[in-house]
Amino acid sequence: MSWDLLTVALMAGAANWAFRALPILARMERVAASGWLGRFLASTGPAAIGTLFVAAILPSLVPDLARLLPVIVGTLAVLAVWFTRKSVVLATLAGALAHGATTWTLG
Amino acid sequence: MTRTRPPFLDGLAASLPIVMGYFPIAFSFGVAATQAGFTGLEAFALSLIIYAGASQFLALALLSSGAPVLVAAFTLIAMNLRHVLYGPALMREAGEGATRRHAWAWAWGLTDEVFGQALGALARGQRFSEPYMFGLGLGAYASWVSGTVVGAYAGGGALEGWPAVNAGLGFMLPALFLALLLSILNRRQLPVIVVAGSVTVVATLAISATSGILLGMLAGAVAGVLRK
Repeated sequence: MSWDLLTVALMAGAANWAFRALPILARMERVAASGWLGRFLASTGPAAIGTLFVAAILPSLVPDLARLLPVIVGTLAVLAVWFTRKSVVLATLAGALAHGATTWTLG
Repeated sequence: MTRTRPPFLDGLAASLPIVMGYFPIAFSFGVAATQAGFTGLEAFALSLIIYAGASQFLALALLSSGAPVLVAAFTLIAMNLRHVLYGPALMREAGEGATRRHAWAWAWGLTDEVFGQALGALARGQRFSEPYMFGLGLGAYASWVSGTVVGAYAGGGALEGWPAVNAGLGFMLPALFLALLLSILNRRQLPVIVVAGSVTVVATLAISATSGILLGMLAGAVAGVLRK
């Protein structure tokens, strides 16, 4: 196993544990959520998810209908299932199924 | 709330929808890892040690492109900064009397989806319980790690004859992020998300995909600070 990979994994994993556990152990929910740091932290989650969605979908947005159509159908399926079932997991699976089915239909 | 089975099993049962969502994504991660030249053991180690979907895919790109170790590590760390908020938000909903003696262990499993599921259970009136959190987290973690192993050992070749399945698995991540985005979307967060998304597009096209992610997140968070 590569030492570089193991080093990166251990550093990222340790940080993940710290991000998830330390705020609970430090009872951070008691800290007032006001102030610029509170607003920065509160905006980090939505900003990260918005960024990750754009970064994930951007490579698929190409002027080629055979590649673009499955993305459009998959996206519509996610939207439809989310607004009817309000379930992240079901919406995700529906999007992937619709994308795969459209790819299969287009051959 | 009246319980008919131990809270740990309740949590395990509640993890089933997450298990269904995680397994195929982890499978596609395992496939992507071996296609990028990593071994099955390395893919397994990344899932076991990092346990954060999007940043693991980014780890593949960074490590296979030869990015310096510290740059790669801090990029992945920056991506998961949002997790800082999950624990406090959950414990605020759990109430003053909620025990957190074993949080050092169960909090490891506090991913986006586990957090959402736990918060939803509290919103539906369920009492907070650490064994429930262990069950919920363990189901999701086991699914993630086992999906990675199956994907890594099945390899990219397993999907060559199934282009539609391959395409569907490839869309799992954008679909997951879109669904997560919809789940947090409200009028107050809209400017943050619009700024983050716009800066990501511009920085990705002008500089690189990695810069796009980092600058997009930072710009969105700064927009949140400047918001009245």
